[in-house]
Amino acid sequence: MTQLPQILPNAVTGRKLLLWAAGLSLALVVLALLCSLVGQYRLTREIWLIRIYRGAAAAVVGVSLAVAGLALQALLRNPLAEPYILGISSGAGVGVLCGLALATHLVLPEWATTSGLAMVGGLVTAVVVYAIAHRRGRLDPYVLLLAGVMINVFNGALILVILQFTQKDEMIKFIGWGMGKVPEWIWNEPNLLVVSAGAVLVAWLAIFARGAAFNTLGLGDAVASSAGVSVHSLRIQTFVIVSLMTAVAVSLAGPIGFLGLIVPHVCRMLLGPDHRLLVIVAGFGGAMFLIAADTLCRLIHIWTGMGELPVGVITAMAGGPFFIYLLRTRRSGGVQ
Amino acid sequence: MSELTGHILTASNVKFAYRTGQNVLNGVDLDAVAGKVVCVLGSNGSGKTTLLGCLLGQLSPSSGGIELDGKAINSYSPRQRARLMAYVSQQPGVAFAFTAAEIVLAGRLSHTGVFGLTSRQDQEIGRAAMEMTGTLGFADRMLDELSGGEAQCVMIARALAQQPSVMLLDEPTSHLDIANQLRIYRMMRRLGDDWGMAVVCVSHDINLAARFADELVLMREGKVVASGAVEQVIDRDILAETYGVEIDLIAVPGSPVPMVQAR
Repeated sequence: MTQLPQILPNAVTGRKLLLWAAGLSLALVVLALLCSLVGQYRLTREIWLIRIYRGAAAAVVGVSLAVAGLALQALLRNPLAEPYILGISSGAGVGVLCGLALATHLVLPEWATTSGLAMVGGLVTAVVVYAIAHRRGRLDPYVLLLAGVMINVFNGALILVILQFTQKDEMIKFIGWGMGKVPEWIWNEPNLLVVSAGAVLVAWLAIFARGAAFNTLGLGDAVASSAGVSVHSLRIQTFVIVSLMTAVAVSLAGPIGFLGLIVPHVCRMLLGPDHRLLVIVAGFGGAMFLIAADTLCRLIHIWTGMGELPVGVITAMAGGPFFIYLLRTRRSGGVQ
Repeated sequence: MSELTGHILTASNVKFAYRTGQNVLNGVDLDAVAGKVVCVLGSNGSGKTTLLGCLLGQLSPSSGGIELDGKAINSYSPRQRARLMAYVSQQPGVAFAFTAAEIVLAGRLSHTGVFGLTSRQDQEIGRAAMEMTGTLGFADRMLDELSGGEAQCVMIARALAQQPSVMLLDEPTSHLDIANQLRIYRMMRRLGDDWGMAVVCVSHDINLAARFADELVLMREGKVVASGAVEQVIDRDILAETYGVEIDLIAVPGSPVPMVQAR
């Protein structure tokens, strides 16, 4: 074979990825520090620490949702897939509620019970949605979305039923959680933050290792399989990892919709569809987006004096119209 | 060049059923030899694509054996298999807006490490594959900006980038005009002649297959009606039995193989 010196255009190299990761890490730290400084006349050390913890939690949740959304879109070859739309978030929500209800009866701390059950709930929902949409060896993208809508409704009803059997305190906790807020109390639970961040980092790396397989999967199951992708294993592994990431995000901050849709799409529009690069950029993008959105909620609260808006409101207000835009334009965000 | 020589891929008495008792393949034999092009022909529903699925290791035969380089096909991991065998599907398509170069480099997956990053050598191999298929000129264009023929050439370049010893193609010219059909068949011929690959192509075009293949396999209702050298198989009675219609053979000046026309 002829050996030619020039490389092909758009090739993703290890050096290019390292540069992106280093640059975005720096940008994330700078943004988190800036956001922690704004919005208070007299910034005490304690308030600043609370905000740093809150920023770190927002980063963990943002990475989880953005990377989970990207992985689902790649895996299902469907630009509209994300944990919230596919019902995985609401499944994790059922798990969180069960965790809150059972916490007093179990040995484990509340955060461990809610996180564990959130993962089970998310995973069960992912399996059910996948099983409904998987027919004759193919995934029907429209059935997948409809199954997600249906499961969301079902999980919503299930949550209402479980709420009937819970104590008033748990009910109040759950309603607060259900609004979708970055937790301010996280500075009281540093162990939870460390465990969550560790789990998300491992999951992020695991998704990154599957980036090249996601690229090949875009060519169809048969071609991907012939090119060396173990398609069935990839699907199962990714669903488990995505459920873990969603469970972490949902148990920390409640259901935050559309972040997993917007961030991967914007990154794809800007940088193209190579998932090895997108996994890195979308992760940092998700973290920065949620830190910024959470800071905006805090600032609106300070400026207007009204109660603090849940961050889920901001992401939903941005994400709803974006979802409709994607539905109406088949070719957007680097998606064919 | 192909790493392997001789009988690279063999199917012996392969039977396959999607539902118990309803065999789609009924004892099919096939032998893919290095440097030779084999075209599998037959009526719709004769089991050609199913046979290809079995050869690729994506479908498991209910009985019979498929061997790749002397070992059972299912003893290979997908990555190991991809280094020996590549596949080109009927219709080129991709879910996201990848460029031609990115698609070709996706063919290097089985040669990359745990994070799937392509090395300089991978890029050189991808580039050579694009040069061989005449696709280097539009390396940075997206697949849906290309014509059907160009897109299919990109897919062949991607398969070539795997550096396989066997190339399987499923009706690669089914949506192409005559000029592009010729282009793809000539490329297949070069894979055998210049690169020493064993090529197995499922096709519906008897005349192009007869012109470019070394051997033909004719199938009907899951069985091989006839197989062998083109001159032996292009026979009025054999073709009539395969397709269930009367056939005329028209002599073509300067060609040893007559043109086939259904009456």
